[in-house]
Amino acid sequence: MLLGIDVGGTHTDAVLIGENGIESTFKAKTDTRNLLHTVTTALKEVTSGIDVKKIKNINLSTTLSTNAIIENKLEKTALFISSGPGIDPANFRIGENTYIINGSINHRGSEVLKLDSPSIEKSMNACIKDNIKVFAAVTKFSTRNSIHESSIAASAEGQADFITQGHTLSSQLSFPRRAATAYYNSAVWRIYSNFLTAIMESLKSMGIEAPVNILKADGGTMPAEVSKNLPVESILSGPAASIMGIVALNKITEDAVILDIGGTTTDIAIFASGAPLMEREGISLEGIPTLVRSLQNRSIGIGGDSAITVVNGEVRTGPERKGPCAAEGGEHPTLVDALNFKGITNHQNKEKSIEQIKLLAEKNKLKPEILADKAIAFSVKKINDEIELLVSQINQKPVYTIHDMIQGKKIIPKKIYIIGGPAAALAVIMKDKIEIVVPENYNVANAIGAALARTTFETELFSDTGKEKMVIPNLGIEEKVSRRYSLSEAENDIIAHTRKYLEKSGYKDKDLKIDIVESSSFRMIDDYYASGNDIRVKCQIRPGVVMNLHK
Amino acid sequence: MLKAKNRLGLVFFPAFDWAISPTHPEREERLLYTQDQLREEGVFDIEGIVELKPDIATDEDVMRSHFCFPDVRSVITESHMISAGGAIRAARAVLDGEVDRAFALVRPPGHHAMKCVHGNRGFCNINNEAIMLEYIREHYGKRRIAIVDTDCHHGDGTQDIFWHDPDVLFISIHQDGRTLYPGSGHLRELGGPNAKGRTINIPLPPNTSEDGFIYTIDNMVMPILDHFKPEIIINSAGQDNHYTDPITNMNFTAHGYALLNEKLNPHIAVLEGGYSIQGALPYVNLGIVLAMAGLDYSHVKEPDYDINYSPQENEVTEYIKKLKDPVLDNYFNPKPDIDRAPVGQFTLRHKNIYYDTDGIQESQKEQIMTCKDCRGLLVIESTASIHPVCVGIEIPVDGCKRCQSEGYKIYEKAVKSKEYISVQLTDRVKKVYKRVKDPNY
Ligand SMILES: [Zn+2]
Ligand SMILES: [Zn+2]
Repeated sequence: MLLGIDVGGTHTDAVLIGENGIESTFKAKTDTRNLLHTVTTALKEVTSGIDVKKIKNINLSTTLSTNAIIENKLEKTALFISSGPGIDPANFRIGENTYIINGSINHRGSEVLKLDSPSIEKSMNACIKDNIKVFAAVTKFSTRNSIHESSIAASAEGQADFITQGHTLSSQLSFPRRAATAYYNSAVWRIYSNFLTAIMESLKSMGIEAPVNILKADGGTMPAEVSKNLPVESILSGPAASIMGIVALNKITEDAVILDIGGTTTDIAIFASGAPLMEREGISLEGIPTLVRSLQNRSIGIGGDSAITVVNGEVRTGPERKGPCAAEGGEHPTLVDALNFKGITNHQNKEKSIEQIKLLAEKNKLKPEILADKAIAFSVKKINDEIELLVSQINQKPVYTIHDMIQGKKIIPKKIYIIGGPAAALAVIMKDKIEIVVPENYNVANAIGAALARTTFETELFSDTGKEKMVIPNLGIEEKVSRRYSLSEAENDIIAHTRKYLEKSGYKDKDLKIDIVESSSFRMIDDYYASGNDIRVKCQIRPGVVMNLHK
Repeated sequence: MLKAKNRLGLVFFPAFDWAISPTHPEREERLLYTQDQLREEGVFDIEGIVELKPDIATDEDVMRSHFCFPDVRSVITESHMISAGGAIRAARAVLDGEVDRAFALVRPPGHHAMKCVHGNRGFCNINNEAIMLEYIREHYGKRRIAIVDTDCHHGDGTQDIFWHDPDVLFISIHQDGRTLYPGSGHLRELGGPNAKGRTINIPLPPNTSEDGFIYTIDNMVMPILDHFKPEIIINSAGQDNHYTDPITNMNFTAHGYALLNEKLNPHIAVLEGGYSIQGALPYVNLGIVLAMAGLDYSHVKEPDYDINYSPQENEVTEYIKKLKDPVLDNYFNPKPDIDRAPVGQFTLRHKNIYYDTDGIQESQKEQIMTCKDCRGLLVIESTASIHPVCVGIEIPVDGCKRCQSEGYKIYEKAVKSKEYISVQLTDRVKKVYKRVKDPNY
């Protein structure tokens, strides 16, 4: 059996899935001040009456790191950055303890200026005085040459309980994102590790020995052990859990839209030929771009509890919430109340909904029917407009080759899959434009997604054959290669190294499919003479589910 | 978080799958390291900077600026249409108010492509800035536009296209033609008979450095621009004045390019040449991007700046100072053309043009009408070593009734005569772009 737990901002869902589908589910409010208690309760409840020895795997999606960052419960972290020429690195300070060190590596990965060791030593002494125990080291173009990050890390040894080197997070370029991601990774490390250790202990005490994996924002998982060094990868995994739930619950093969309608927001995701789209660079947290890979997901301020307001005769829904819907004892009518009023839903106390809709209508000299109709129409239009915008932005995404300009495929959604509270109701209303699907068990899609998500992984190889060098930054690999090193050798190498790394790091997923997603070789020419090849190969294990729950 | 003072649109199209030939400077990797640098700097994450996908230019967009012989499709590849489309996208972004400024980092370049096109010369087939400029005039009703070409090579193509246009001010700053391809761009070249002083050439001596370029901008370019008062300023942003460029002899820097751009403050910049793809382009482009966005660029510096850059020699400084008066004179008191035909008649000019990349020799008979009601009908008969005589007829943007009817008359006569393998009519007034081709050719 496979166990999935999704600790969300308001609710925590758990599901246990056997060979024949869902065995049990559990839903409760999240106790944000005691996530450990929330998780252990969910564990106990969802496994009650079940032989825990049958559990083969546990996947956990948690908001712990996200909350720590948003609520600024971060450990004092020293961020060492070194940038060389370009944008003033002072722009990328985070927290109170950023140290800028002179030194420079260029875009080819050549050292231009040695790292200023005396200045590192001085800064390190300041850290010792401040009793700082966690560090992050990020240098420009460290994915091409990590030597400066390594030497900063070396000088923190002895003082540091934990240090993040930027190049271990991702092979992708972006110095500012790398700096922010490394900083957060170190700043949440302790709170995350303690949490994880506590969970492991409770599992042990419950007699559960199954491997534990942590969900990521890209819709995949990483082993718990790996996550201890990459806690930042656990941020914002909730929406991805829901999206992977949809993948498990439906056989999606076409271009499609996924809507997850919550209390105050609706999340929108787009599928291209049945596969969820990735964010191009990485997810932003609190407006700060990071290198954390993520499924593309857009959130707008419309949900079941969005308040209905009338402004200058115009009926609007959201983005503010003024408490729960009237049907649940709230004082202000919401989208759910409008649906109740129209008889589309039958949620809780329908009389209360009718009462509050009538009251608001009277106050604004409108017929209650009109008010309810307009509130619903407003919501549907808002959602449709956002879908249209998102699709057009995806189709306008820049490309870099003539082939992609000419052959590039446009996304045209054929279906909308809706999950979340008012899903069924909105499906009725939106139906006339496009086919709408509301999957069974949509109320625990997030936990299903968590339970069934597979491992994901991405890395990139970079070789300058003129320098006889090949690196795979986030695997920590640097090798000498021959001047004749070819693109196909590089493709073989990256797959072999990735497999070796995954086996060594406790990835249990057996039949992992590693795809080469980008592969290029440029002839480099200096003064009309070939000086080697610039080879870049990127591979991925794409998100997927270990089993399908649809017929 | 960094926030751009000017909202900036970047059309970045490196054409990673296109080259003139495998070892040609205009090859696949040309913008690879620039892309690496811009991505590593996080430029695309700066608030107010957006990356835009190029449009694809249409045949009509091309015919608005060029006479293509025998037709548009024979002289271009998809890459040229995307590059020109990239410039158009940049212009649209600015004129639609999406952004305040835009920079089209596109290749292949275009500023050596002239009015008539038979093939590739100076790495260029069609002229990106000219196509963009005419797109702006046709779709946004703008009239007075200035192009400042800061590529190291003379912008002879752009000069040729706007030679007869009094509403387009073309200023080219370049390494003196006596020392570099294409050999033109002398002080005496200052526009056709109906547009004297609207073409301004500033040929700088080899080894001109930061001081010389900035002096030129401050003392020659800016006073002329201030007087001309263009509605739109375009920068042909070639980067081959850089001290590391392999095919030129100038001594300019990334910081200098950024400062130049800050002073010029163009609405739209379009990349032209620049072939020091590792040592210069990543830094020059970064400098220009930051300057256009109104951001601090003081930390942008080539890694070898302290070793390989040297300040300007006195001799060079003195030479450039002496250029100021004749340059300003060319704009403020241009000498009239003694050969100019009387009203109602054509001024005739014969030209020979060599297409270095494709090895084509072209000879032209160009006629421009002297007209008191418009800038005059243009007719060019062109014979190239690769095909027989073709003709292009252009009724200008402000074409008067007489020039319009005369244009159609010449067009019909040319078609009927069967003497030409290709006859192109460009009617900028009615926005008609048509061509008749010899079916046997
Ligand atoms: Zn040039
Ligand atoms: Zn006329």
